[in-house]
Amino acid sequence: MAESTALKAPPLALAESAPTLAGRPWRHALRSLARGWRSGRLLILGFAIALAVASVGSVGLFTERVRLALERQSGEALGADALLGSRDPLPAALRAQLEALGLRTAAVTVFPSVAVAGDYTSLVSVKAVEAGYPLRGELRIAREPFGTPQAAPGVPLRGEAWVDLRVLQELGIDPGASLQLGRLQLKASALIAFEPDRGGGFSDLAPRLMINADDLPESGLLTLGSRASYNLLLAGSAEQIAAAQQIQLAPTQKFETPRDARRELSSALDRAGLFLDIAGLAAALLAAAAVALTARGHGASLRDEVALLKTLGARRRFLLQSLSLQLLLLGLVAGLVGALVALLGQAVIGALLSEAMKVELPAPPLAPLLSAYVLGLVMLLGFALPPVLAAVRTPPLRVLARELSAGPSRWVPVLALLAVVGLLLWQTGAPDLAGIVLVGAALACGALALLAWLMVRALAPLRRRGGSAWRFGLANVARRQAATVGQVVALGLALLALLLISVVRQDLLESWRDKLPADIPNQFLINIQSEQVEPLKTFFRERGFGELVLWPMARGRLVALNGQPVSEESFDDPETRRWINREFNLSWTDHFGADNELLSGEWWDASAQGQPWLSADDYAVKRLKLKLGDTLGLDIAGQIYTLTVKNTRKVSWDSFKPNFFLVTPPGTLEAAPRQWLTSFRLEPQQRAVLSELVRTFPNVTALDLEAAIQQVRGIVDRVVRAVEFVFLFALLAGLLVLLAAIDGTRGERARETALLRALGARSSTLLAGLLAEYALLGLLAGLVAAAAAQGVAWGLAAGVFDIPYGPRPLLWLLGALAGTALVTALGWLSMRRVLQTPPRAVLG
Amino acid sequence: MTSAIEAKGLVKRVTSGEGAEALTILSGLELQIQAGESVAIVGSSGSGKTTLLSLLAGLDTPSAGSIRLDGQTLEDKSEDARAALRAGRVGFVFQSFQLLNGFTALENVMLPAELAGRRNARELAVAALESVGLGARLSHYPQQLSGGEQQRVALARAFAAEPKILFADEPTGNLDTATGARIIDLLFALNRERGATLVLVTHDAQLAARCGRTLRLSGGRLDG
Repeated sequence: MAESTALKAPPLALAESAPTLAGRPWRHALRSLARGWRSGRLLILGFAIALAVASVGSVGLFTERVRLALERQSGEALGADALLGSRDPLPAALRAQLEALGLRTAAVTVFPSVAVAGDYTSLVSVKAVEAGYPLRGELRIAREPFGTPQAAPGVPLRGEAWVDLRVLQELGIDPGASLQLGRLQLKASALIAFEPDRGGGFSDLAPRLMINADDLPESGLLTLGSRASYNLLLAGSAEQIAAAQQIQLAPTQKFETPRDARRELSSALDRAGLFLDIAGLAAALLAAAAVALTARGHGASLRDEVALLKTLGARRRFLLQSLSLQLLLLGLVAGLVGALVALLGQAVIGALLSEAMKVELPAPPLAPLLSAYVLGLVMLLGFALPPVLAAVRTPPLRVLARELSAGPSRWVPVLALLAVVGLLLWQTGAPDLAGIVLVGAALACGALALLAWLMVRALAPLRRRGGSAWRFGLANVARRQAATVGQVVALGLALLALLLISVVRQDLLESWRDKLPADIPNQFLINIQSEQVEPLKTFFRERGFGELVLWPMARGRLVALNGQPVSEESFDDPETRRWINREFNLSWTDHFGADNELLSGEWWDASAQGQPWLSADDYAVKRLKLKLGDTLGLDIAGQIYTLTVKNTRKVSWDSFKPNFFLVTPPGTLEAAPRQWLTSFRLEPQQRAVLSELVRTFPNVTALDLEAAIQQVRGIVDRVVRAVEFVFLFALLAGLLVLLAAIDGTRGERARETALLRALGARSSTLLAGLLAEYALLGLLAGLVAAAAAQGVAWGLAAGVFDIPYGPRPLLWLLGALAGTALVTALGWLSMRRVLQTPPRAVLG
Repeated sequence: MTSAIEAKGLVKRVTSGEGAEALTILSGLELQIQAGESVAIVGSSGSGKTTLLSLLAGLDTPSAGSIRLDGQTLEDKSEDARAALRAGRVGFVFQSFQLLNGFTALENVMLPAELAGRRNARELAVAALESVGLGARLSHYPQQLSGGEQQRVALARAFAAEPKILFADEPTGNLDTATGARIIDLLFALNRERGATLVLVTHDAQLAARCGRTLRLSGGRLDG
């Protein structure tokens, strides 16, 4: 282009200026931030950080809300947020003191007594409740046996009793008939279908008879020294409950807050938490990889600028300040965007789940959001800062000799490793798990690199075949062997994550769903006597229900642990105290249930017959701090059995199959009195069978678990949707890694392409060559990723989720196709502009 | 007259890799350039012209010998101290322009004055760009300018901070003859106006002839 400048030398010297040091790094930081933004690289970096904060933040926020909600929901098992219990009547002053804190209260008195109707009597557990009971959860009643349960309109009216079906059966009366309790004449006006705070097992209580608390004095049943539990249910905010816990109590009084009372729900939610954590971790790690990859490119692109600025007189400190400031500004803004997205994200997950859990999720606490924000900044320091620090070391001489750059910095790998370890510790909260993930990731990278190298080597004979574009692309792949292997590993990791997310997630979630099949047993029968076992089997066989499996069950009380006598007072933990205080259900078998997972020791076979051994569930292990070889002294109907812990198990309570905390080999408890229990599937149209059953076996009690199953199934469905939502973040992060990996070599490719164009190569040839190269890279990375995904999925399914998983040939095809298509498309997007730029602009 | 640049016994050896034999590029070179002088350094390709320029400007350090730039020794200074010495005192014009792509013409020209801590960097830069005839292109990015225009921005940047010494490395190497000639006219006009010391590295004898003195680099030493 011709120049048309008037050659005059205008006055340049303006007023002499004073140096201004303050604010210069700021100004440069802001200006180069805007510049980097325009180049697109900082945009990806900012996006990666925002994504990391958003995914970790939304999972963290949601998990915290669910934890709070679970605590509240387990409160339903007490019918309250907390409970003040006593063996003596509670003083009115204490209740007034609690109410002064703003707590709602309802008194509940429970004691054993005998109900009478005509010549029949029934040993009952009386529960006298005040208006307002239950403070949490819902009491459900039915007007006739096996009638449709409905929410109770408050509590029984005076003169009325709501009873378990068993009371009517034992007294031989119909609903609406009257019965006598102490001096009270009561009308059995309804059947109790669901009592939220019944607690305990199925059979450790006498049947319930619920009356209005105002009837209690008149009954004359409670006198001084009566064996009764006086409970005051409390409901209020966490702060109010905490304040109530500070009140000094008498030794006979105790304060209880509920924990983990509904095992089948917490079991389902534990698994949900695991899925969500893995999704969150995947998203965070992928975002970290995207940050690291983009920052590397950013650092490389800074070298020319640093060299020029040093030549023009910039000191290292100025460069450090302005470039760090630039990153910090980017991190602060991107983190803020991520935090906002996290808030929205957890609201979506929350909305999905709160309905299924039938509980209002508490407002999100801000702590997880803050830690996600800090995590974003840590990522910035760990992954993005090192390449920038390395760039600052670029010698000024680079302005004259382009090939010069600073040698590798020791800090880059150290900081990056520290950041990865910190990130893993943060996310998993367990050093050993973080170690496993770290070693696993290193091994995976190594395996991917080896696979990639073998594949690149295998390509060599193909270099002389095909069209010129193909040969050009292939030559590029083969020529830069080390770089190609590195890129295939990076692309492979991203594709691996995408495959795991899209395909394996589907498989894993469906396997989980299948754990609650449509034909899951929804009815439990308890209190079956030994002589009823065969007649009961016949009863069901005749009605087309197939062969029933019955479980024997004995009841015992823990009296000694490792030879030392124990009682409630031996334990500090309120839940353990409560658990110890009642009788356990034990069973015996040599069959290891599919819904059990062996944690330690060995399961026994038929040869263990009669051995004084014990298998303990994880819950019992935690409560009693059991280990293999410990002995438990159990009082079963007056006889003491000393049993040795031979193995420990974890029961999937969400399987809804009969399971027991403590199990012995068959024959060990031969002399103990026993009952039997069983479960079966009852379809809605078969409900008449239940009436027939109760008529034939009046002492047998049927428990309907359909509502509980529906609740867990609802949660599983919603969790699956929530997990898919979180995986969306991981999916985005994976795509970002792909983009960053491809964009990282843009500068180098741009120069090569410009050179080839200057030498006369046509744009269309170059484009075809580049596309061939990207397609090949994508194919290699896709195959490598599919191999790894298959392995990881199998490991996750078998080791973590305990669900079956087999080979998936489609995964390989999908990996290859997705790799080729995605990498080619992103490569084209990345190089499109470069091919349109005149060679001089690139080579100049 | 005081020396703007002085080199004594300058040696530069480089090794291409570990175990490789060292290659001597400059061997005991002596040089003195007075303030306000314009000196051309010529020589064949690979004779070490650019290496010499990088040493004189303090962009690199010699293997042996000493250099004084504007009265201050360079070899005992850290990279930072050498940068501080350059800031506001030394200007550069490169063969490949070396403009920052994401910065506008104005921002590029403001850089040296800003780095030298001048409060009026913007005014200086605007004036400098006007002086090279690019007053209407302040907010253009390098990619939006022709090669000649980019080199004029580089000239404006070189003069904006009012340097005492200007180093130019093959300033017309990337331009066609006519454009190159105009750039050189502009370079000399500006230099005359400012009275800066000019050190120009070129292989172009015609261009070298426009300088007050021509030094030929061969065999690692200067003749002339």
